Order: sequence, then structure tokens, then C-alpha cells
Amino acid sequence: MRALPTLKISISGVRGVIGDSLTPILLTRFAQAFGTYVGSGTIVIGRDPRTSGEMVKQAVIAGLLSSGCRVVDVGMCPVPTVQLMVRARSAQGGLAITASHNPAEWNALKFIGADGTFLGPAYAREMLDIYHQGEYVKVAGKDMRAVEVVAGATDLHIKTILDALGPLPDKGRRLRVVLDACNGAGSIVGPKLLETLGAEVIAINDQPNGQFPRGAEPIPANLGALCDAVKQHGADIGFAQDMDADRLAIVSEAGEPIGEDYTLVLAVLHVLGREPGPVVANLSTTQALDFVADLFHCPLFRTKIGEANVTEGMQRENAVIGGEGNGGVIYPRINFARDSLVGMALVLHLLAERGVSLSKILQELPSLFMLKEKLTCPSHKIGEVLKMVRKTYADSPIDLTDGVKVILPNGWLHVRGSNTEPIIRLSAEATSENEVRQIRDSVFESMREIISKK
Amino acid sequence: MKPLKIGITGVRGVVGEAFTPELAVGFAQAFATYIDGGRILVSRDTRPSGPMVHAAVCSGLLAAGCEVIDLGICPTPSMQLALNFLGADGGIAITAGHNPSQWNALKFVRADGLYLNATQGEELLDIYHQGEFLKTRWDTIKTDISTANVIPHHIEKLRAAFDVELIRSRHLTVAVDCCNGGCALLSPDWLRELGCEVLALNDDPTAPFPHNPEPKPENMAQLRAVVKAGHADIGFAHDADGERLGIVTELGQPLSEELTLPIAAKIRWDNKRGPIVTNVSTGSRIDRLASRYGTTVIRTPVGQPFISEAIIENSAVLGGEGSGGIAVPEIHPTHDSAAAIGLILEYLAGTQATISELVKELPQVTMLKYNVEVEPNRLYSVLQNFRLLVERARLDHDLTDGIKVNLDDGWVHVRASNTESMIRVIVEGTDSTAAQKLIDWARDRLRK
Repeated sequence: MRALPTLKISISGVRGVIGDSLTPILLTRFAQAFGTYVGSGTIVIGRDPRTSGEMVKQAVIAGLLSSGCRVVDVGMCPVPTVQLMVRARSAQGGLAITASHNPAEWNALKFIGADGTFLGPAYAREMLDIYHQGEYVKVAGKDMRAVEVVAGATDLHIKTILDALGPLPDKGRRLRVVLDACNGAGSIVGPKLLETLGAEVIAINDQPNGQFPRGAEPIPANLGALCDAVKQHGADIGFAQDMDADRLAIVSEAGEPIGEDYTLVLAVLHVLGREPGPVVANLSTTQALDFVADLFHCPLFRTKIGEANVTEGMQRENAVIGGEGNGGVIYPRINFARDSLVGMALVLHLLAERGVSLSKILQELPSLFMLKEKLTCPSHKIGEVLKMVRKTYADSPIDLTDGVKVILPNGWLHVRGSNTEPIIRLSAEATSENEVRQIRDSVFESMREIISKK
Repeated sequence: MKPLKIGITGVRGVVGEAFTPELAVGFAQAFATYIDGGRILVSRDTRPSGPMVHAAVCSGLLAAGCEVIDLGICPTPSMQLALNFLGADGGIAITAGHNPSQWNALKFVRADGLYLNATQGEELLDIYHQGEFLKTRWDTIKTDISTANVIPHHIEKLRAAFDVELIRSRHLTVAVDCCNGGCALLSPDWLRELGCEVLALNDDPTAPFPHNPEPKPENMAQLRAVVKAGHADIGFAHDADGERLGIVTELGQPLSEELTLPIAAKIRWDNKRGPIVTNVSTGSRIDRLASRYGTTVIRTPVGQPFISEAIIENSAVLGGEGSGGIAVPEIHPTHDSAAAIGLILEYLAGTQATISELVKELPQVTMLKYNVEVEPNRLYSVLQNFRLLVERARLDHDLTDGIKVNLDDGWVHVRASNTESMIRVIVEGTDSTAAQKLIDWARDRLRK
């Protein structure tokens, strides 16, 4: 088999490996294409702390200036801060430099529209067409605009959250929180937000140096240090962010990861309790969300995977809250973006208001088991894998919105190709650990076989 | 066709046309590859496209694994001097020197502070065209760009080379037009260091060029007015990046940029014997001066690297070009208008003479320049035709750089510009009538 390409140009942006596929020329061309696409307007840029961030940023600035854009550089900050700043500055667009949960050798550009959400598929396709056409707006020197360096974007982010939610209610004692920022962009704003809300904060992995202290995804396997710290400090809750601080995972006071999916479930539980309304989530998000939505008699809509798809669905359904099962909470009253800071504030408010332990709150929710797997898979094999899944479950109801989702009596199975990496993802959920394994095993071996055969 | 010049003086073009961010990124990567990584200084002049080109250059250098030290807006000679001081392996100057504002360029500097020479420049081009550049991985890439202000170091070097106390004692009044370029951050400070009363104009590096940055008499109207109104002892005109120098006398008379070198040469030879280096296109006043002092002139092709290398090779006491660029070897063998200022003021202070008295002592000739705009793709065929005409007529000529023809009442030099799509014609005659005849002679032969 030939080597898999490390460059991923898709509607979710352009991703690649530093020193390999993600070259400065490619980056500066993409920035020119984006500058051309937004009509030489004002563009907010920001980056996560990856080691290649400065190189990528310089290439992007060159491309944006060349296409006549005014650049607002908010520096190192969470991706949701960039999205917030696009709206705060009434910019025509934003460009986030982050490969979110991809390993340290990756970096990426993510394109943000004037409303602060990632470019939806249709718009992203238009932008890609401009990139491929290769004819970019080029302005003369005298028409070039400046780079404005803006400090304090994260303070504005904190202020926006506080203005919307207020500080934690005073119940006689401060909540004790351990935050694992993965040495990511969250390091520079998470602890300050939590303190401002009125919590007591113990921060770990809070050096924004681009060195990953653990796997970047906030999945249980990567949260050992956080679990230990929660127990050691007798904390009420532990929060884990990813590199660009859009996703949030939670560890209970018992030092147990509660599963990424439950971040959104808890946030929804809090929000629907105060302002009932439609909820939007992607196909792979836990069914516990259906339970919570039913509890408040609110409709739940499912979309394809990807933040852009979820936000588009939220705009369509006028949702009060939405997100993804990977720990991405979108609360449009504050920010039309997956925002771990908003997620932390919502969950802490829930905890403070209820005045009981996190484990207690979780007991009210259905106990479900989820399994997530991924396999490296060349793109031409994806179709074959999906066909196999459909054949295996020919008699079950199937949803083809994104890959194949099979609805089963005791749960569901979802298999799809990733937009961001050359991998295929499997997720499954059922009412017991045994059952979820069985569901996975029903197709997993065949998937491996298809991928590995010549 | 859109003008883009990729040649010995670097890569130059009009921004918004042929000079794109991709081009700047690619050349930065090629340069990093050429010097095999290391610490690179980046400076720029004040053109509005500077920040764009700067960002492109930095990304290319970082991607190749270089450590970048950003000198910000800074005269090119200050950057060249800083190479040694900061232990850098190379430098990129983002400046189109004397070209109008819409142009920009990259100039490549070696570890010794001099520009890449012709052979090295060709090698760099080959790497650029080959397109295989040094790359670095995520765990070795430099995570940030440091900054440095190297102008104080430049002033330190200048102070050491001249008799600062002597100059201070004269309390000269000096007008200086920085063209809102890089010298705005150097020249006024340097002049104050020399105890001068400084009448600075166009010294705002954030403002656009007030006029074309070529320090020629036609761009010196403001400077003349300030010299006269302020009763200055002399006026100096800078280009955008601190290489070329033009002069206005205490009488408010703007001098041709061709006179800067003879002035500096006379000052030098009054105190020191030794060869002076210039290019084949520079006027013959310098030769006549040399015979007056019984010393020699070494001629090189047009282009600073040739001058710099010939200065070193011949232990020359000075170098320079008819364009107004002067190299004072005690400081560094490359054009540096601040060094030229030091040399001239030291003379004025030491002799108590005026600049117009000095000019009167120079040999008199008339020099005329004429540019013929030619489509880039026809440049070399037009030159070739001219050469054939000269050769068929069996005229005495020199092919060091373009075609220099020696005629009875002067000479004609015809060459392709290194920086723009045009043919430059320079003639020198014994008087203005003779010079005009020589221009006409050349123009007839370039039309055919």
C-alpha cells in the first residue's frame, strides 16, 4: 500500500503535517483564497500553542495582507475566542490556526464566517473552488492594510460568559475544580475564568508550550493525571480541555471520567431547566440526550458530524443549545461555537445550583455504555466498509445522513469516514458494557479485513 | 508583461503584480536551504507592502527550521553590520532601495555581512527553481520570532571610525531628508551624536514616501528649501534603505548623485593613498582625480557584490558607485550612507572648508543619463543588436557589464537595468553639447 497522504483539504479546512505536507506556500495560498472569498474584509486570526503556530501564522498574514484584508491578530487563544472575536469586531471572517485534537506534528487552518461559525459545507466548497482556481485578489502596496495586534481577547471572552451566566450562586462553600488544559490554549484563560466564576482552581498541564503532556483528545484513556489530581485534592469536579479548548471532558468527584458525551448532556440539563427549546446534536452523540430533551418536552434534532453541520442545524431549528458528543458544547447566547469555557461555566452552575455531587446528578440519567474505535483507512476503502455494515444490518433501520448509523433495539452503531484524518470511526452505544462490545464486534473484524486486504 | 527581476541583486518586482507572497516564501525557503539553516536576520524598509513580505519571509524561514531575528524597520547596512555582532548565518533585507514605493525586493546577505556574489546568487536561484527546500519537523521548528534593535550598534561602529570630537567641535547644521525610510531611525541620531544641529525632514517611518527615494536632484526640492531656510552647512538625501546618498550644498545647490563618489574619493585621497573601487558605469571624474593623486581606480561590473569583493581583494581605501552608494572599508566594504555622512562631515570639520568649495576642486565633466523602457522579453535582443553595431564599426569597447563604448569626446555605457525592465544609457562628455550628442548617438543605435 502506498503511504497515506498527510494533507487533508476538506470543507472543514486544510490540515497537514509540519515538515511534510503543510508548507508555507500552501498556507499562504489558502489565506489568499480566503481573503479573496471574504472580499478583502477584516479577518480575525488566532492560534493554539502548537510549535508550528508562528510559522503558520506568518504565512497566513502574508496571504491575507496580499489579498487586501485587514488582519486582527488576537494571538494565542482558544478557537472559540477567535469565533467570539469575529462577532465582537464585526469582522468579515476569521481564521483559526489549530489542528484541535490531532497529534503535535499536525497543524491546520479552519475558516470562520462573519457570524462566528465555521464555514458551512456550501461556503467552504466555494472557498475551495477559489483556492483551486488559483486566481486571488492581489492588492498594490499602497492599498495594503495593517495587522492590528489585539491583547485581551480572552478577557472579553470571560466577561461575555460572566455577563450571560453570572457568578456561581453562593451556597456557603466554593466548588473546588481541577483543570487539565493539556498545555493548550485553554491554559491562558481557563483558570482565570473559573476563579472569576467563584470556584477554587487547581490547574495542571497549564503551560501553553505546544508540548502535549498527554494524548490531545480528552478521552478517558488520556485523563489519568486529572483523575489522580481530583482524588488527591478532594475536588468536586475535574475538567479536561483539548489543545484548542473547544472540547471539554469531565471527571467526577470520585475521580472517574464520566465519558465525553456527558459534558453536553449536563450542559443541556442545565440550560433546558431554565430556557426550554430545541436541541441539536450530531448522529454519534449519546441517547442520554434524548432522555434529557424528553424530560423537558423539547425536540432534539440530529445532524451530520462536524461543528459546521451542527451549528447550521442549530440556526435552522433556532436551538437554545447544541453540540457534539466529543465534548463540544454550543450555547448560542454566548458564542456560536463549541466552547469548553462555556461548557465549564454551565456545568459548574448546574453543580452549584443543585448543591449535590456530580455522581448524584449522573444517577438521574440513564446509564449507557459507549465505545469508540478508529482504524487507519485509505479513502477508497471507506465505501466498501460502509457497504459491509449495511449488509450486516440489512434488516435494521438505517440512517445514511453521515456514513451508516444502525438503530438497534438496545442501542445504535455508527460507522463513518473522518473528514480530518485518513481514518474510519466506529461508535456504538448500548445499555450494558457487554452489549456494546457485541455490537462493535459484529462488524469490527470485517472492517479490519477489508482495510488490510490488497 | 509584468516586471519581475530575479538577478544578482536579489528578487524584485511590483507588489500586487509579479511580486507575490508565494514568491517571497519560496525565496526565503531557498535562501534558508542555501545557507543550510541557522540564525537569520530580517530587516525591512518602510514601504507599505513591507509587513506582507516580512510575514511571507518569516514563514518560509521558520518552515525551513531557521531561527529568525526580526530587526523591524532598519537600514540595510545596519542589518549587514549586525550579522557578525549577533552571530547570524545570513540576512534578508526586504527593500527595493531606490525603487518607487510600489516595488519591493529581497536582498540576500551572507554571514560576513556582504551580499551574495554572482556565483552564489546563481546557486540560490538554482535551489529556488529546483523547489526542494529544507524542511523542519514540529519538534525542531522555532516557536517564535525574537526581535532586536541593531541601530545603536551601527552608530557605535560609526563612532569608532571617525573623529567624533573634531566634528562635534564645529557644531555643524545639517539638513537630512530620510524619505520616510529606514534612515529615519538612524541618521538623525547619528547626526546628533556628531554634535550637529539636525534639520530632519521626512523622518516619519510610518508615513509614505514623500517623493521617489532615488537621491537625485529632481527629488531634492524640499531638502534644498530646508538647507536654505535653515542656513545648513550641508543637506543629505537618503534612499529608502540607507545605501545611497545625495548631497545639497550650503548654497542650496543639489548635486548630481554622480558627485557623491568623487567627493568621498577626494576626501579619502587627501589623507590616504590606495585604490578606490567603482563600477564601469561610473563617470571618469574619479579617474582624473586618481591621476591627480597618483593612485588607481579599479572598475567592476555594476552591482554591490562586485564592489565589496574588489574592495577586499585590493585592500581598497573606498568603494562606491555613481548612484550615490559609498562603502567605507573601516566600517564595512558595502554601501552605507551613514558612513559616507561621517566621512564628509569629518572633512568639513577638519578643513573648515564648505562643501561647495570642495565640489569646485573636482574635475569637471558632463554626464547624462537616459533610460529606454523595453519589454522584458526584448531587453537582451535590443542590447545584442547594439553590440553588433559597435563591433561592426570596430569601436573601442568594454564588455565588463553591458557595453561601454569609448569615443573621441567621451564615452557611452549601455546596459540592462538590474532592477527594472529598461536599458540604462549613461554618457559622459567634456561639456553638455558633447554629452547630448553622445546620448543621441546611443539612442539611434538602440532603436534599430
